Amino acid sequence: MNSLKSFLKRDGWMLFIFIGLLAFPFIVATLTGSSPTGVPRGDRMIMRGESVRWQAVLIEVFILSLLAMSYNLLFGFTGVVSFGHALFFGLSGYIFGILLEYTALDTGLATGLGIVLGIAASGLLGLGIGLATLRLKGVYFAIFTLALAEMAYIFFSRLQLTKAEDGFAIGELPVWLDPTQSRLTFYYITLAVFVVGFLLLRRLMASPTGAVFKAIRENEDRAQSIGFNTLRFKLLSLVIAGMMAGAAGILQVMLNKKVGPEMLGLTYTIDPLLMTIIGGTGTLLGPVIGAAGLHLLDVGLRDQVIALGGASIRIADVWGLILGAIFILVVMVFPYGIVGTYQRWRLKRQHRGDPASAATSRAARRQSG
Amino acid sequence: MNDSAPVLAIENIHTFIGQFHILEGASVAVQQGGITVLLGRNGAGKTTTLKSVMGITPPSQGSIHFRGEPLAGKPSNVIAQMGIGYVPEHRAIFRELTVKENLQIAERKRGDLARRGDLIFDLFPDLKRLYGLPGGNLSGGQQQMLAMARALVPENHLLLIDEPSEGLAPVIIEQLMRAITRLTDHASVLLVEQNFRVASRLANDYVIVDEGQSVASGLIANLVNDDALIQRYLGVA
Repeated sequence: MNSLKSFLKRDGWMLFIFIGLLAFPFIVATLTGSSPTGVPRGDRMIMRGESVRWQAVLIEVFILSLLAMSYNLLFGFTGVVSFGHALFFGLSGYIFGILLEYTALDTGLATGLGIVLGIAASGLLGLGIGLATLRLKGVYFAIFTLALAEMAYIFFSRLQLTKAEDGFAIGELPVWLDPTQSRLTFYYITLAVFVVGFLLLRRLMASPTGAVFKAIRENEDRAQSIGFNTLRFKLLSLVIAGMMAGAAGILQVMLNKKVGPEMLGLTYTIDPLLMTIIGGTGTLLGPVIGAAGLHLLDVGLRDQVIALGGASIRIADVWGLILGAIFILVVMVFPYGIVGTYQRWRLKRQHRGDPASAATSRAARRQSG
Repeated sequence: MNDSAPVLAIENIHTFIGQFHILEGASVAVQQGGITVLLGRNGAGKTTTLKSVMGITPPSQGSIHFRGEPLAGKPSNVIAQMGIGYVPEHRAIFRELTVKENLQIAERKRGDLARRGDLIFDLFPDLKRLYGLPGGNLSGGQQQMLAMARALVPENHLLLIDEPSEGLAPVIIEQLMRAITRLTDHASVLLVEQNFRVASRLANDYVIVDEGQSVASGLIANLVNDDALIQRYLGVA
């Protein structure tokens, strides 16, 4: 009873949001008078209506959150900067797509195999990159990963087999999984993957291994001199992050029923980076808030047109500019990201009046100054 | 290994940092259960001697044996695992980890912290109250206590402690000195200490390092009365 109470006190609001997300398709359906499962036409369901449209938006938020969370594990918690995160995202997407479209396997089997192989390949890729290059420090590692991702991007942009720049469409997914037929099911699947990913990450970061990740971020030599083989921990972080990004890539392919080289492009490295920094580097919730905030803003503003004097500007055309402005603003107002700055502020408040409070504010001043 | 063999035997090591020849033949021995203090002016090579033992700046010549085993060629994490706790200068804790996490990650075997908890909180009662706070929020003295406590979590046979009293208030230094004295029940200590009064009260043996060489060594009781030697190498009387 007591443990339930403390759980609700600590995590109650998360449970509340989770229940809200579970009910979301039905809430939108009720509010807009649409059906959460789409409109029947013959023996098929057509994905039309506000509820299914908003389900797709949130599915994208879940996928981007997964990607940003995996980036944060590496960058925020372990202090390893990679500019090639799209590599994991895109490569597992390609593996999944190729199994479905270019093999004679039955659709269900290809889907299952694609998920397993895509995620496994992402993990192995992380291991390989790590073994080859994690001895490189800081910016050298980052540039190496950038080069690798760009090479993969160019390779798949030219590969005729997978229709080069255009990419290829996925013809058929198992009906129960197919977002063009059973979007509600797919919504709950991505929600489940996202929640499981979040909880696993939270568990990991609360474990001694997570503390070692943070210690490496702060001072790798120091972590080594108290007895840790830091290379091994960085490898582990890279492998887990790679697998999470790989899972996100597969979900993205399922959602769009399409694979293309843009999945390997810089956007899918820069976006999770921005989402992480804006939300709060090295916090659990930061990347999620960053991903949700930026994506919902994008969706909400995309079709707006501003009339400015004689000219009219479509927001979608200047989205990059807006994103840049948001980034600058957030970094200036919230130097540790939204969640990070809030946490520091709360910690300071909690210890006001405590004997350690003087030390706390001293330390805060030192850190900000 | 017999009882009279030193826990740590550093013999005639030469260490370079980049192209600078920092240690030019330093020899230090630490006896079982004893405290040996490294004395010498700033830049003499005291910290580098500790870093050479840890393999952070491995020596290019000479030998270091810990409990009879050579340390040459071993990376610092392996050396730490052999049972050497390193407390670097400037209170080298992890500022972003909580006090609890700082101690937890020092575990070498599961349950180390639980086994040593009583000892640690007995030596440094403040840490109990600060358990959930990030290390960076602690005062300088508290950080130094945390750094020493961290080296106590696993079963170490030897502690290398660098300048523990630097920049701390006298009352805190007293507390740290009491703690270091009690540490010798659990481990031998190689200490770097600029404060000669602190050093002379704590240590059994001394080694004076000057310009990268060990120039004098012996019982600290004898050094205390040797004004000429103190004047020559330490500049204090």
